[in-house]
Amino acid sequence: MNDLSIDLGKGFKIANPVLTASGTFGYGDEASEVVDVNRFGGIVTKSLSLEPRIGNPPPRIVETPSGMINSIGLANIGLEAFLREKAPYLSQLSCKVIINIAARTEEEFCDVIKTLDNEKWISAYEINVSCPNVKEGGIAFGTDPDVLRRLTQKLRDKTDRYLIIKLSPNVTNIAQMAEIVQECNADAVSMINTLYGAAIDIHTRKPKINTVIGGLSGPAIKPAALAHIIKARKVIDIPIIGIGGISNGEDVIEFMLAGASAVQLGTVNFYNPCAIYEILNFIEQYMTQYNMTSLQEIIGQMLV
Amino acid sequence: MKCVTIGTVRSNQKVADQIFLATIEVPDIARQCLPGQFVNIYFSGSVKLFPRPFSIASVSGKSILILYKVIGSQTTLMSRWQIGHQVKLLGPLGNNFTISENKSIKYVLLAGGVGAAPLMFFRDELVKENIKPHFFIGAKTKSELPIIEDDKSDLIVTTDDGSKGLKGTVIEHFEDFLKNIRHSISLNVCGPEPMMSALKNISFPDNVTINVSLEKTIACGLGLCQGCAVKNTTDKFKGHYALVCKDGPVFNLKDIEFDE
Repeated sequence: MNDLSIDLGKGFKIANPVLTASGTFGYGDEASEVVDVNRFGGIVTKSLSLEPRIGNPPPRIVETPSGMINSIGLANIGLEAFLREKAPYLSQLSCKVIINIAARTEEEFCDVIKTLDNEKWISAYEINVSCPNVKEGGIAFGTDPDVLRRLTQKLRDKTDRYLIIKLSPNVTNIAQMAEIVQECNADAVSMINTLYGAAIDIHTRKPKINTVIGGLSGPAIKPAALAHIIKARKVIDIPIIGIGGISNGEDVIEFMLAGASAVQLGTVNFYNPCAIYEILNFIEQYMTQYNMTSLQEIIGQMLV
Repeated sequence: MKCVTIGTVRSNQKVADQIFLATIEVPDIARQCLPGQFVNIYFSGSVKLFPRPFSIASVSGKSILILYKVIGSQTTLMSRWQIGHQVKLLGPLGNNFTISENKSIKYVLLAGGVGAAPLMFFRDELVKENIKPHFFIGAKTKSELPIIEDDKSDLIVTTDDGSKGLKGTVIEHFEDFLKNIRHSISLNVCGPEPMMSALKNISFPDNVTINVSLEKTIACGLGLCQGCAVKNTTDKFKGHYALVCKDGPVFNLKDIEFDE
Protein backbone atom coordinates (compact mmCIF):
# COMPACT_ATOMS: atom_id res chain seq x y z
CA MET A 1 0.00 0.00 0.00
CA ASN A 2 1.47 3.33 -1.03
CA ASP A 3 1.44 6.20 1.40
CA LEU A 4 -0.77 8.89 -0.08
CA SER A 5 -1.08 10.86 3.14
CA ILE A 6 0.00 14.47 3.25
CA ASP A 7 1.09 16.42 6.30
CA LEU A 8 -0.10 19.99 5.85
CA GLY A 9 1.64 21.11 9.05
CA LYS A 10 0.34 22.15 12.45
CA GLY A 11 -0.98 18.63 12.98
CA PHE A 12 -3.27 18.73 9.98
CA LYS A 13 -2.78 15.47 8.13
CA ILE A 14 -4.97 14.20 5.31
CA ALA A 15 -5.21 10.59 4.09
CA ASN A 16 -4.68 11.65 0.49
CA PRO A 17 -4.07 14.99 -1.24
CA VAL A 18 -7.48 15.23 -2.92
CA LEU A 19 -10.06 17.58 -1.42
CA THR A 20 -13.28 18.94 -2.89
CA ALA A 21 -13.46 22.58 -3.91
CA SER A 22 -15.94 24.84 -2.21
CA GLY A 23 -19.21 25.34 -4.05
CA THR A 24 -18.83 22.23 -6.19
CA PHE A 25 -19.73 19.59 -3.66
CA GLY A 26 -22.48 21.15 -1.57
CA TYR A 27 -22.19 20.01 2.03
CA GLY A 28 -21.15 16.49 1.06
CA ASP A 29 -24.51 14.87 1.69
CA GLU A 30 -25.93 15.69 -1.77
CA ALA A 31 -23.32 13.56 -3.55
CA SER A 32 -23.14 10.77 -0.98
CA GLU A 33 -25.53 8.55 -2.95
CA VAL A 34 -23.18 8.36 -5.93
CA VAL A 35 -19.73 8.67 -4.38
CA ASP A 36 -18.11 7.56 -1.13
CA VAL A 37 -17.32 10.96 0.35
CA ASN A 38 -14.77 9.44 2.73
CA ARG A 39 -12.51 8.53 -0.18
CA PHE A 40 -11.51 12.19 -0.36
CA GLY A 41 -8.69 13.43 1.83
CA GLY A 42 -11.21 15.99 2.93
CA ILE A 43 -14.15 18.01 1.79
CA VAL A 44 -14.40 21.76 1.64
CA THR A 45 -17.99 22.84 2.12
CA LYS A 46 -19.93 25.39 0.16
CA SER A 47 -19.18 28.95 1.27
CA LEU A 48 -20.93 29.64 4.54
CA SER A 49 -22.03 33.08 5.64
CA LEU A 50 -23.52 34.32 8.90
CA GLU A 51 -26.99 34.83 7.42
CA PRO A 52 -28.61 32.78 4.64
CA ARG A 53 -28.09 34.12 1.13
CA ILE A 54 -30.54 33.63 -1.69
CA GLY A 55 -27.81 34.01 -4.32
CA ASN A 56 -28.05 35.51 -7.77
CA PRO A 57 -31.06 35.17 -10.07
CA PRO A 58 -30.80 32.78 -13.02
CA PRO A 59 -29.20 32.19 -15.44
CA ARG A 60 -26.38 31.25 -13.10
CA ILE A 61 -24.21 28.93 -15.17
CA VAL A 62 -23.07 28.62 -18.75
CA GLU A 63 -20.90 26.06 -20.47
CA THR A 64 -17.83 27.54 -22.20
CA PRO A 65 -14.99 25.83 -24.07
CA SER A 66 -13.46 23.29 -21.65
CA GLY A 67 -15.00 25.16 -18.79
CA MET A 68 -17.96 26.97 -17.32
CA ILE A 69 -18.84 30.36 -15.92
CA ASN A 70 -20.88 30.60 -12.75
CA SER A 71 -22.51 33.39 -10.83
CA ILE A 72 -24.27 31.54 -8.04
CA GLY A 73 -23.71 34.47 -5.69
CA LEU A 74 -22.73 32.35 -2.68
CA ALA A 75 -26.26 31.07 -2.17
CA ASN A 76 -26.16 29.22 1.15
CA ILE A 77 -28.29 28.31 4.12
CA GLY A 78 -26.47 30.46 6.68
CA LEU A 79 -24.66 29.51 9.88
CA GLU A 80 -27.66 28.62 12.03
CA ALA A 81 -29.26 26.23 9.53
CA PHE A 82 -25.83 24.82 8.71
CA LEU A 83 -25.25 23.78 12.31
CA ARG A 84 -28.77 22.37 12.59
CA GLU A 85 -29.07 20.58 9.23
CA LYS A 86 -25.58 19.83 7.93
CA ALA A 87 -23.32 19.44 10.98
CA PRO A 88 -24.81 16.04 11.99
CA TYR A 89 -23.81 14.56 8.62
CA LEU A 90 -20.44 16.31 8.33
CA SER A 91 -19.35 15.55 11.89
CA GLN A 92 -19.57 11.78 11.38
CA LEU A 93 -17.38 11.70 8.26
CA SER A 94 -14.01 10.01 8.60
CA CYS A 95 -12.39 12.37 6.08
CA LYS A 96 -11.42 15.86 7.15
CA VAL A 97 -13.96 18.66 6.94
CA ILE A 98 -12.87 22.16 5.99
CA ILE A 99 -15.42 24.93 6.26
CA ASN A 100 -15.24 27.64 3.60
CA ILE A 101 -16.39 30.97 4.96
CA ALA A 102 -17.58 33.99 3.00
CA ALA A 103 -18.47 37.33 4.49
CA ARG A 104 -19.09 40.94 3.61
CA THR A 105 -17.16 42.42 6.54
CA GLU A 106 -14.24 41.46 8.79
CA GLU A 107 -16.67 41.31 11.69
CA GLU A 108 -18.88 38.81 9.89
CA PHE A 109 -15.90 36.52 9.29
CA CYS A 110 -15.03 36.76 12.99
CA ASP A 111 -18.61 36.06 14.09
CA VAL A 112 -18.81 32.90 11.97
CA ILE A 113 -15.44 31.67 13.24
CA LYS A 114 -16.35 32.39 16.84
CA THR A 115 -19.33 30.03 16.57
CA LEU A 116 -17.57 27.38 14.49
CA ASP A 117 -14.62 27.23 16.89
CA ASN A 118 -16.95 25.36 19.27
CA GLU A 119 -17.44 22.58 16.72
CA LYS A 120 -14.69 20.08 17.42
CA TRP A 121 -15.20 18.04 14.25
CA ILE A 122 -14.05 20.87 11.98
CA SER A 123 -10.42 20.51 10.88
CA ALA A 124 -9.79 23.81 9.14
CA TYR A 125 -11.25 27.01 7.75
CA GLU A 126 -10.83 28.19 4.22
CA ILE A 127 -11.45 31.90 3.86
CA ASN A 128 -13.09 33.05 0.66
CA VAL A 129 -11.48 36.42 0.07
CA SER A 130 -11.74 36.19 -3.65
CA CYS A 131 -15.12 35.14 -4.98
CA PRO A 132 -15.72 37.55 -7.85
CA ASN A 133 -19.46 36.95 -8.02
CA VAL A 134 -20.84 38.93 -5.17
CA LYS A 135 -21.57 42.52 -5.94
CA GLU A 136 -21.01 43.75 -2.43
CA GLY A 137 -17.88 42.98 -0.42
CA GLY A 138 -15.80 39.90 -1.00
CA ILE A 139 -13.83 41.23 -3.90
CA ALA A 140 -11.98 43.88 -1.90
CA PHE A 141 -10.45 41.49 0.66
CA GLY A 142 -8.45 39.43 -1.79
CA THR A 143 -7.44 42.07 -4.28
CA ASP A 144 -6.13 44.85 -2.06
CA PRO A 145 -2.86 43.97 -0.25
CA ASP A 146 -3.61 46.11 2.78
CA VAL A 147 -7.14 44.82 3.17
CA LEU A 148 -5.96 41.23 2.81
CA ARG A 149 -3.25 41.78 5.44
CA ARG A 150 -5.66 43.30 7.93
CA LEU A 151 -8.20 40.54 7.48
CA THR A 152 -5.71 37.70 7.70
CA GLN A 153 -4.15 39.18 10.83
CA LYS A 154 -7.53 39.62 12.43
CA LEU A 155 -8.59 36.04 11.69
CA ARG A 156 -5.24 34.69 12.86
CA ASP A 157 -5.69 36.49 16.16
CA LYS A 158 -9.20 35.10 16.43
CA THR A 159 -8.60 31.38 15.97
CA ASP A 160 -5.94 28.74 16.53
CA ARG A 161 -7.57 26.43 14.05
CA TYR A 162 -5.84 25.58 10.74
CA LEU A 163 -6.40 28.64 8.55
CA ILE A 164 -6.34 28.57 4.76
CA ILE A 165 -6.71 31.72 2.69
CA LYS A 166 -8.16 31.10 -0.79
CA LEU A 167 -6.47 33.45 -3.22
CA SER A 168 -8.01 35.19 -6.20
CA PRO A 169 -6.17 35.08 -9.53
CA ASN A 170 -7.77 38.36 -10.54
CA VAL A 171 -4.89 40.45 -9.18
CA THR A 172 -1.75 41.93 -10.66
CA ASN A 173 0.68 40.05 -8.41
CA ILE A 174 -0.58 36.88 -6.79
CA ALA A 175 2.83 36.11 -5.27
CA GLN A 176 2.60 39.32 -3.23
CA MET A 177 -0.80 38.22 -1.90
CA ALA A 178 0.57 34.79 -0.97
CA GLU A 179 3.49 36.43 0.83
CA ILE A 180 1.15 38.64 2.85
CA VAL A 181 -0.86 35.60 3.91
CA GLN A 182 2.31 33.85 5.06
CA GLU A 183 3.55 36.93 6.91
CA CYS A 184 0.26 37.01 8.82
CA ASN A 185 0.85 33.43 9.96
CA ALA A 186 -1.99 31.78 8.12
CA ASP A 187 -1.30 28.06 7.75
CA ALA A 188 -1.80 27.61 4.01
CA VAL A 189 -3.08 29.22 0.83
CA SER A 190 -5.45 27.60 -1.63
CA MET A 191 -5.31 28.80 -5.19
CA ILE A 192 -6.75 29.67 -7.56
CA ASN A 193 -10.33 30.77 -7.24
CA THR A 194 -12.19 31.35 -10.51
CA LEU A 195 -10.92 33.76 -13.14
CA TYR A 196 -13.19 36.48 -14.49
CA GLY A 197 -15.20 35.18 -17.42
CA ALA A 198 -18.04 36.31 -19.67
CA ALA A 199 -20.12 34.92 -22.53
CA ILE A 200 -22.70 36.64 -24.75
CA ASP A 201 -25.60 35.20 -26.76
CA ILE A 202 -25.09 36.64 -30.24
CA HIS A 203 -28.77 36.28 -31.17
CA THR A 204 -30.35 37.96 -28.15
CA ARG A 205 -27.21 40.05 -27.50
CA LYS A 206 -27.67 39.32 -23.83
CA PRO A 207 -25.00 38.08 -21.44
CA LYS A 208 -25.31 34.37 -20.82
CA ILE A 209 -25.25 34.81 -17.06
CA ASN A 210 -27.15 37.29 -14.96
CA THR A 211 -24.20 39.18 -13.51
CA VAL A 212 -22.60 39.63 -16.96
CA ILE A 213 -19.19 38.70 -15.57
CA GLY A 214 -18.83 35.53 -13.52
CA GLY A 215 -16.22 33.03 -12.43
CA LEU A 216 -14.53 30.83 -15.03
CA SER A 217 -13.55 27.33 -13.95
CA GLY A 218 -12.78 23.95 -15.44
CA PRO A 219 -9.89 22.53 -17.48
CA ALA A 220 -9.72 25.82 -19.44
CA ILE A 221 -8.06 27.50 -16.43
CA LYS A 222 -5.61 24.72 -15.55
CA PRO A 223 -2.51 26.26 -17.17
CA ALA A 224 -3.29 29.62 -15.51
CA ALA A 225 -3.64 27.92 -12.13
CA LEU A 226 -0.31 26.12 -12.55
CA ALA A 227 1.44 29.38 -13.47
CA HIS A 228 0.04 31.13 -10.41
CA ILE A 229 1.10 28.27 -8.13
CA ILE A 230 4.62 28.28 -9.53
CA LYS A 231 4.84 32.03 -8.89
CA ALA A 232 3.58 31.69 -5.34
CA ARG A 233 5.83 28.71 -4.55
CA LYS A 234 8.87 30.88 -5.23
CA VAL A 235 8.04 33.28 -2.41
CA ILE A 236 6.26 31.23 0.29
CA ASP A 237 6.97 27.99 2.07
CA ILE A 238 3.60 27.36 3.76
CA PRO A 239 1.56 24.66 1.97
CA ILE A 240 -0.25 25.52 -1.24
CA ILE A 241 -3.51 23.75 -1.98
CA GLY A 242 -3.84 23.72 -5.75
CA ILE A 243 -7.16 24.36 -7.50
CA GLY A 244 -8.05 24.96 -11.14
CA GLY A 245 -9.45 22.57 -13.70
CA ILE A 246 -8.09 19.36 -12.23
CA SER A 247 -9.91 16.46 -13.85
CA ASN A 248 -7.71 13.38 -13.52
CA GLY A 249 -4.77 11.81 -11.73
CA GLU A 250 -2.22 13.24 -14.15
CA ASP A 251 -3.42 16.73 -13.28
CA VAL A 252 -3.02 16.07 -9.55
CA ILE A 253 0.60 15.00 -10.03
CA GLU A 254 1.24 18.02 -12.25
CA PHE A 255 -0.10 20.41 -9.58
CA MET A 256 2.02 18.72 -6.91
CA LEU A 257 5.15 18.98 -9.06
CA ALA A 258 4.38 22.70 -9.46
CA GLY A 259 4.39 23.07 -5.70
CA ALA A 260 0.96 22.11 -4.39
CA SER A 261 0.86 19.93 -1.27
CA ALA A 262 -2.76 19.02 -1.87
CA VAL A 263 -5.41 19.79 -4.47
CA GLN A 264 -9.13 20.44 -4.75
CA LEU A 265 -11.51 19.01 -7.32
CA GLY A 266 -14.08 21.52 -8.51
CA THR A 267 -15.87 21.56 -11.83
CA VAL A 268 -15.02 17.90 -12.46
CA ASN A 269 -17.48 16.96 -9.70
CA PHE A 270 -20.23 18.05 -12.10
CA TYR A 271 -19.21 16.06 -15.17
CA ASN A 272 -17.51 13.13 -13.48
CA PRO A 273 -18.78 12.79 -9.90
CA CYS A 274 -16.77 9.58 -9.41
CA ALA A 275 -13.45 11.12 -10.56
CA ILE A 276 -11.96 10.58 -7.09
CA TYR A 277 -11.79 6.80 -7.62
CA GLU A 278 -9.92 7.12 -10.94
CA ILE A 279 -7.58 9.73 -9.46
CA LEU A 280 -6.60 7.66 -6.44
CA ASN A 281 -6.01 4.61 -8.65
CA PHE A 282 -3.79 6.65 -10.93
CA ILE A 283 -1.76 8.06 -8.05
CA GLU A 284 -1.20 4.55 -6.64
CA GLN A 285 0.02 3.35 -10.04
CA TYR A 286 2.22 6.40 -10.51
CA MET A 287 3.87 5.90 -7.13
CA THR A 288 4.54 2.26 -7.91
CA GLN A 289 5.88 3.13 -11.34
CA TYR A 290 8.34 5.63 -9.89
CA ASN A 291 9.14 3.64 -6.77
CA MET A 292 7.90 6.27 -4.37
CA THR A 293 7.27 5.50 -0.71
CA SER A 294 5.55 8.77 0.15
CA LEU A 295 3.61 11.04 -2.15
CA GLN A 296 5.08 14.04 -0.32
CA GLU A 297 8.35 13.39 -2.18
CA ILE A 298 7.09 15.04 -5.34
CA ILE A 299 5.78 18.31 -3.92
CA GLY A 300 7.52 21.14 -5.77
CA GLN A 301 9.84 18.74 -7.59
CA MET A 302 9.37 20.15 -11.07
CA LEU A 303 12.78 20.05 -12.74
CA VAL A 304 13.66 23.33 -14.36
CA MET B 1 -31.22 5.43 -5.21
CA LYS B 2 -29.49 7.41 -7.92
CA CYS B 3 -26.31 6.02 -9.40
CA VAL B 4 -23.67 6.56 -12.04
CA THR B 5 -23.86 3.59 -14.38
CA ILE B 6 -23.14 2.38 -17.90
CA GLY B 7 -25.99 1.64 -20.31
CA THR B 8 -26.01 -0.03 -23.69
CA VAL B 9 -27.85 1.39 -26.70
CA ARG B 10 -30.32 -1.23 -27.99
CA SER B 11 -32.00 0.90 -30.64
CA ASN B 12 -31.79 4.45 -31.91
CA GLN B 13 -34.41 5.39 -34.47
CA LYS B 14 -35.49 8.57 -36.15
CA VAL B 15 -39.19 9.12 -35.44
CA ALA B 16 -39.70 12.60 -36.90
CA ASP B 17 -37.70 15.44 -38.38
CA GLN B 18 -34.63 15.76 -36.09
CA ILE B 19 -36.38 13.68 -33.41
CA PHE B 20 -35.02 10.31 -32.32
CA LEU B 21 -36.08 7.58 -29.92
CA ALA B 22 -33.27 5.64 -28.27
CA THR B 23 -33.59 2.51 -26.15
CA ILE B 24 -30.83 2.21 -23.57
CA GLU B 25 -30.49 -0.95 -21.52
CA VAL B 26 -29.66 0.24 -18.03
CA PRO B 27 -31.22 -2.01 -15.37
CA ASP B 28 -30.11 0.06 -12.36
CA ILE B 29 -32.16 2.99 -13.59
CA ALA B 30 -34.99 1.14 -15.38
CA ARG B 31 -36.07 -0.79 -12.31
CA GLN B 32 -36.60 2.25 -10.11
CA CYS B 33 -37.39 5.31 -12.23
CA LEU B 34 -40.70 7.17 -12.09
CA PRO B 35 -42.50 9.21 -14.76
CA GLY B 36 -41.15 12.77 -14.78
CA GLN B 37 -37.69 11.74 -13.64
CA PHE B 38 -34.68 12.27 -15.87
CA VAL B 39 -31.18 11.01 -16.51
CA ASN B 40 -27.97 12.92 -17.14
CA ILE B 41 -26.05 11.58 -20.10
CA TYR B 42 -22.28 12.09 -20.00
CA PHE B 43 -20.16 12.70 -23.07
CA SER B 44 -16.46 12.01 -23.18
CA GLY B 45 -15.32 15.15 -25.02
CA SER B 46 -13.21 17.73 -23.24
CA VAL B 47 -14.55 20.87 -24.90
CA LYS B 48 -18.17 20.60 -23.72
CA LEU B 49 -18.11 19.36 -20.18
CA PHE B 50 -21.67 19.28 -18.92
CA PRO B 51 -23.78 16.16 -19.05
CA ARG B 52 -27.14 16.64 -20.78
CA PRO B 53 -30.44 15.97 -19.03
CA PHE B 54 -33.17 13.87 -20.71
CA SER B 55 -36.57 12.91 -19.38
CA ILE B 56 -37.23 9.20 -19.36
CA ALA B 57 -39.87 8.57 -22.06
CA SER B 58 -40.73 5.04 -21.05
CA VAL B 59 -39.45 1.87 -19.46
CA SER B 60 -39.32 -1.42 -21.27
CA GLY B 61 -37.94 -4.31 -19.23
CA LYS B 62 -34.36 -3.45 -18.31
CA SER B 63 -34.29 -0.48 -20.70
CA ILE B 64 -35.29 3.15 -20.63
CA LEU B 65 -36.43 5.06 -23.68
CA ILE B 66 -35.08 8.53 -24.45
CA LEU B 67 -36.93 10.78 -26.88
CA TYR B 68 -34.64 13.57 -28.05
CA LYS B 69 -34.40 16.30 -30.62
CA VAL B 70 -31.14 17.04 -32.40
CA ILE B 71 -30.37 20.67 -31.53
CA GLY B 72 -26.61 20.82 -30.99
CA SER B 73 -23.34 18.94 -31.00
CA GLN B 74 -24.17 16.49 -28.20
CA THR B 75 -27.56 15.46 -29.57
CA THR B 76 -25.90 15.12 -33.00
CA LEU B 77 -23.48 12.66 -31.40
CA MET B 78 -26.45 10.81 -29.92
CA SER B 79 -28.15 10.58 -33.30
CA ARG B 80 -25.10 8.65 -34.51
CA TRP B 81 -25.18 6.11 -31.67
CA GLN B 82 -25.01 2.58 -33.02
CA ILE B 83 -26.58 -0.46 -31.39
CA GLY B 84 -24.22 -1.67 -28.66
CA HIS B 85 -22.80 1.81 -27.94
CA GLN B 86 -21.97 2.28 -24.25
CA VAL B 87 -23.42 5.33 -22.52
CA LYS B 88 -22.51 6.68 -19.09
CA LEU B 89 -25.55 7.92 -17.21
CA LEU B 90 -26.55 9.37 -13.86
CA GLY B 91 -30.05 8.69 -12.63
CA PRO B 92 -32.83 8.49 -11.94
CA LEU B 93 -32.90 12.17 -11.01
CA GLY B 94 -35.54 14.57 -9.77
CA ASN B 95 -39.15 14.21 -8.71
CA ASN B 96 -42.11 12.84 -10.65
CA PHE B 97 -45.65 13.32 -11.91
CA THR B 98 -48.15 11.85 -9.48
CA ILE B 99 -51.49 10.08 -9.63
CA SER B 100 -54.02 11.30 -7.10
CA GLU B 101 -56.00 9.12 -4.69
CA ASN B 102 -59.07 10.93 -5.96
CA LYS B 103 -60.53 8.66 -8.63
CA SER B 104 -62.80 11.32 -10.15
CA ILE B 105 -59.88 13.39 -11.46
CA LYS B 106 -59.36 13.49 -15.20
CA TYR B 107 -55.78 13.43 -16.46
CA VAL B 108 -54.71 15.57 -19.37
CA LEU B 109 -51.21 15.52 -20.81
CA LEU B 110 -50.08 18.56 -22.78
CA ALA B 111 -46.89 18.28 -24.81
CA GLY B 112 -45.03 20.69 -27.01
CA GLY B 113 -42.97 18.69 -29.51
CA VAL B 114 -40.29 16.57 -27.91
CA GLY B 115 -41.71 17.63 -24.52
CA ALA B 116 -43.91 14.57 -25.01
CA ALA B 117 -41.11 12.46 -23.48
CA PRO B 118 -41.95 12.49 -19.76
CA LEU B 119 -45.67 12.50 -20.54
CA MET B 120 -45.40 9.27 -22.53
CA PHE B 121 -43.96 7.64 -19.42
CA PHE B 122 -46.71 9.16 -17.27
CA ARG B 123 -49.32 7.92 -19.75
CA ASP B 124 -47.94 4.38 -19.33
CA GLU B 125 -48.24 4.70 -15.57
CA LEU B 126 -51.83 5.98 -15.83
CA VAL B 127 -52.76 3.10 -18.14
CA LYS B 128 -51.44 0.66 -15.51
CA GLU B 129 -53.97 2.21 -13.12
CA ASN B 130 -56.71 1.78 -15.75
CA ILE B 131 -56.84 5.50 -16.46
CA LYS B 132 -56.95 6.63 -20.08
CA PRO B 133 -55.66 10.19 -20.27
CA HIS B 134 -56.30 12.85 -22.90
CA PHE B 135 -52.95 13.48 -24.56
CA PHE B 136 -52.60 16.79 -26.41
CA ILE B 137 -49.51 17.02 -28.53
CA GLY B 138 -48.63 20.04 -30.59
CA ALA B 139 -45.87 21.20 -32.89
CA LYS B 140 -45.32 23.90 -35.48
CA THR B 141 -45.72 21.45 -38.31
CA LYS B 142 -46.34 17.75 -39.03
CA SER B 143 -42.67 16.80 -39.38
CA GLU B 144 -41.93 17.97 -35.83
CA LEU B 145 -44.48 15.71 -34.15
CA PRO B 146 -42.81 12.90 -32.21
CA ILE B 147 -46.03 10.84 -32.08
CA ILE B 148 -49.10 10.95 -34.31
CA GLU B 149 -51.06 7.96 -33.06
CA ASP B 150 -51.46 6.35 -29.68
CA ASP B 151 -53.85 3.59 -28.64
CA LYS B 152 -53.16 4.07 -24.93
CA SER B 153 -54.60 7.59 -24.72
CA ASP B 154 -57.17 9.85 -26.33
CA LEU B 155 -54.65 11.61 -28.53
CA ILE B 156 -55.34 15.11 -29.82
CA VAL B 157 -52.74 16.23 -32.34
CA THR B 158 -52.36 19.90 -33.22
CA THR B 159 -50.08 21.79 -35.58
CA ASP B 160 -49.69 25.54 -35.92
CA ASP B 161 -49.94 25.28 -39.70
CA GLY B 162 -52.66 22.63 -39.80
CA SER B 163 -50.46 20.13 -41.66
CA LYS B 164 -51.58 17.39 -39.24
CA GLY B 165 -54.48 17.17 -36.81
CA LEU B 166 -56.18 20.32 -35.58
CA LYS B 167 -54.87 23.68 -36.75
CA GLY B 168 -53.66 26.01 -34.00
CA THR B 169 -51.67 25.77 -30.82
CA VAL B 170 -52.00 22.95 -28.38
CA ILE B 171 -52.97 25.44 -25.66
CA GLU B 172 -55.85 26.88 -27.72
CA HIS B 173 -57.27 23.42 -28.30
CA PHE B 174 -56.88 22.48 -24.67
CA GLU B 175 -58.86 25.61 -23.74
CA ASP B 176 -61.63 24.54 -26.13
CA PHE B 177 -61.64 21.09 -24.60
CA LEU B 178 -61.87 22.56 -21.12
CA LYS B 179 -65.14 24.39 -21.91
CA ASN B 180 -67.07 21.11 -21.77
CA ILE B 181 -65.39 19.65 -18.68
CA ARG B 182 -66.77 19.92 -15.17
CA HIS B 183 -64.43 17.40 -13.52
CA SER B 184 -61.30 18.21 -11.61
CA ILE B 185 -58.42 18.17 -14.07
CA SER B 186 -54.82 17.23 -13.48
CA LEU B 187 -53.01 18.94 -16.34
CA ASN B 188 -49.45 17.71 -16.81
CA VAL B 189 -47.29 19.72 -19.15
CA CYS B 190 -43.90 19.62 -20.79
CA GLY B 191 -42.74 21.80 -23.64
CA PRO B 192 -40.63 24.81 -24.48
CA GLU B 193 -40.50 27.49 -21.79
CA PRO B 194 -42.49 30.06 -23.84
CA MET B 195 -45.34 27.54 -24.00
CA MET B 196 -45.32 27.03 -20.26
CA SER B 197 -45.03 30.70 -19.54
CA ALA B 198 -48.01 31.29 -21.89
CA LEU B 199 -50.00 28.80 -19.81
CA LYS B 200 -49.06 30.75 -16.72
CA ASN B 201 -50.75 33.83 -18.18
CA ILE B 202 -54.09 32.09 -18.75
CA SER B 203 -56.52 32.10 -15.84
CA PHE B 204 -57.83 28.59 -15.58
CA PRO B 205 -60.81 27.63 -13.43
CA ASP B 206 -60.15 26.26 -9.95
CA ASN B 207 -60.78 22.69 -11.03
CA VAL B 208 -57.54 22.65 -13.05
CA THR B 209 -54.23 21.80 -11.34
CA ILE B 210 -51.21 22.32 -13.58
CA ASN B 211 -47.93 20.47 -13.14
CA VAL B 212 -45.07 21.38 -15.43
CA SER B 213 -41.78 19.68 -16.11
CA LEU B 214 -39.10 22.36 -16.48
CA GLU B 215 -35.80 22.33 -18.28
CA LYS B 216 -32.71 24.36 -17.40
CA THR B 217 -29.02 24.12 -18.10
CA ILE B 218 -27.90 21.49 -15.61
CA ALA B 219 -24.22 21.01 -14.76
CA CYS B 220 -24.41 18.28 -12.13
CA GLY B 221 -27.94 16.96 -11.56
CA LEU B 222 -27.26 16.48 -7.85
CA GLY B 223 -27.84 19.93 -6.40
CA LEU B 224 -24.11 20.56 -6.09
CA CYS B 225 -23.69 23.50 -8.42
CA GLN B 226 -26.99 25.32 -7.74
CA GLY B 227 -26.99 26.39 -11.37
CA CYS B 228 -30.51 25.31 -12.35
CA ALA B 229 -32.24 27.78 -10.07
CA VAL B 230 -35.88 28.70 -10.56
CA LYS B 231 -38.07 31.02 -8.51
CA ASN B 232 -40.71 29.19 -6.52
CA THR B 233 -43.13 31.23 -4.40
CA THR B 234 -44.12 28.55 -1.87
CA ASP B 235 -42.96 28.75 1.76
CA LYS B 236 -40.69 25.76 1.28
CA PHE B 237 -38.47 27.88 -0.95
CA LYS B 238 -38.60 31.07 1.09
CA GLY B 239 -35.17 32.70 1.06
CA HIS B 240 -33.71 30.47 -1.63
CA TYR B 241 -34.29 29.31 -5.16
CA ALA B 242 -35.71 25.93 -6.08
CA LEU B 243 -33.38 23.70 -8.07
CA VAL B 244 -34.81 22.05 -11.17
CA CYS B 245 -32.53 19.01 -10.78
CA LYS B 246 -33.37 18.24 -7.18
CA ASP B 247 -36.61 19.98 -6.23
CA GLY B 248 -38.08 19.46 -9.72
CA PRO B 249 -38.20 19.07 -12.63
CA VAL B 250 -41.96 18.82 -11.92
CA PHE B 251 -43.48 21.85 -10.24
CA ASN B 252 -46.97 23.21 -9.74
CA LEU B 253 -47.18 25.97 -12.35
CA LYS B 254 -48.80 28.44 -9.97
CA ASP B 255 -45.70 28.35 -7.75
CA ILE B 256 -43.23 29.12 -10.53
CA GLU B 257 -42.06 32.53 -11.70
CA PHE B 258 -40.40 32.44 -15.09
CA ASP B 259 -37.41 34.63 -15.95
CA GLU B 260 -38.09 37.75 -17.92
